[in-house]
Amino acid sequence: MSFKVAVIGDVDTTTGFALAGAQYVHVHIDKNGTLSKLGELLADKEIGLVLITHRIAEELGAEFRMTIRKKGLLPIVLRIPDKTGYTPKVDELYNLIKRTVGAEIVVRAEGG
Amino acid sequence: MAEAVSAVTPTRMELLKLRQRVSLAQKGHDLLREKMDALVIEFFEVLKKIGDAKSAALNQLSLAYRALSVCSAVMGTIETRQASREAKRELEIEISTRHIMGIVVPTLEVEELKRNALSRGYSLHTTSSVLDDASKEFEKALGLLVKLAELEESANAIARELEGTKRRVNALEYILIPRLKATIKFIEMRLDEMERENFSRLKRIKAMLEARE
Amino acid sequence: MNVDRILKFELNKLNVHLPKRRISLKEALESTRPQVATRDGSVHRFKREELDFLAGLVPEIDRGRLQLPILIALDPKFGRGAARITGEAEVIAISQILGKKSTGGELLIYRPDVAIIRRKLPTTTQYLFMPG
Repeated sequence: MSFKVAVIGDVDTTTGFALAGAQYVHVHIDKNGTLSKLGELLADKEIGLVLITHRIAEELGAEFRMTIRKKGLLPIVLRIPDKTGYTPKVDELYNLIKRTVGAEIVVRAEGG
Repeated sequence: MAEAVSAVTPTRMELLKLRQRVSLAQKGHDLLREKMDALVIEFFEVLKKIGDAKSAALNQLSLAYRALSVCSAVMGTIETRQASREAKRELEIEISTRHIMGIVVPTLEVEELKRNALSRGYSLHTTSSVLDDASKEFEKALGLLVKLAELEESANAIARELEGTKRRVNALEYILIPRLKATIKFIEMRLDEMERENFSRLKRIKAMLEARE
Repeated sequence: MNVDRILKFELNKLNVHLPKRRISLKEALESTRPQVATRDGSVHRFKREELDFLAGLVPEIDRGRLQLPILIALDPKFGRGAARITGEAEVIAISQILGKKSTGGELLIYRPDVAIIRRKLPTTTQYLFMPG
């Protein structure tokens, strides 16, 4: 089935992905506005993928994490860096590996 | 080691049932362990792919941001944003599912739309090639991000299933099977005991009968 | 104790991801939506790049015989980590990937090989659990 792409970001991020063809873009201004927009996008059955910048996701805090946990299989939500390249210090993938197979294995996985 | 022994009547029937149960549990354990091993392989495969996919996507994304600032510098920020509003926003991704041993995982494919300047939508006379470059770079970035999204969802799903399977393998190996084996041993011992008691009782009865004669 | 029921349930669940009916490589290549219906009512999609890769490994006559997904059979009887591939065309394809000589309709492979196969053909291969 075909789905659309949505982006939540600052002006530059949204401009860039709009040029690439993303249907819905939301420029983040305030926390509440963006949280409610996120809820809308997650409920929209036509949307398969939502891109959101790390910076904004962090700003949305606990409510963001809760909203993500409650969502269904689709849309998929992916966090991306904005033009400053900001990525958070907490690496979720690292934590996932540690939780699943243990800490020593993480070292091996990173070493390749 | 004192294993918890289930309260059970020590009969041969019960012993037979238990032996069958242990055999089933052992079979189940071995199969689930194969599944667990296979899931571990899958997990590390996905992780490796994620490593490459992530760096490719992030590199491309920073290229895209750079192309966008070049575009803003050349064309002007307002014109660039205007062009993005005029652009044809019809990108679609095809999402289906694939299965990995009982886990359903999404597959994502960008519908290949080779868009050139005309089909991108913005009016040509006010734009220049830098806009096209920025669009192309972001299109490439989006393609790579879509791949990354698929891999990350897969990793999460596999991890969850792996944890569940591991718990079941351990429950069988360290709790259920030892308990069944201990109960079997208990019944065997009791049956032996009962048989000996029976035997000696019969001997006494025989002795009594012989004494009467 | 209903442990037996739980175990039977788990064991039944092991193969529920498998398709009701497999399709040939030829059929998949010709389809715009190469996929199979799975036993639990869902859909399993084959990736085009894998289909093209397989087509390159197998002569055209065999493409109609190669059934997808290729099944990697796991049976504790083979030993932990060992797996079996059956089907002449399937064995040809897998042997080529692993750089082995293919003889006949059956191939026994070991854990490192399984990892390689799954890496190259994540959607066109599936695990099959044998109750043994």
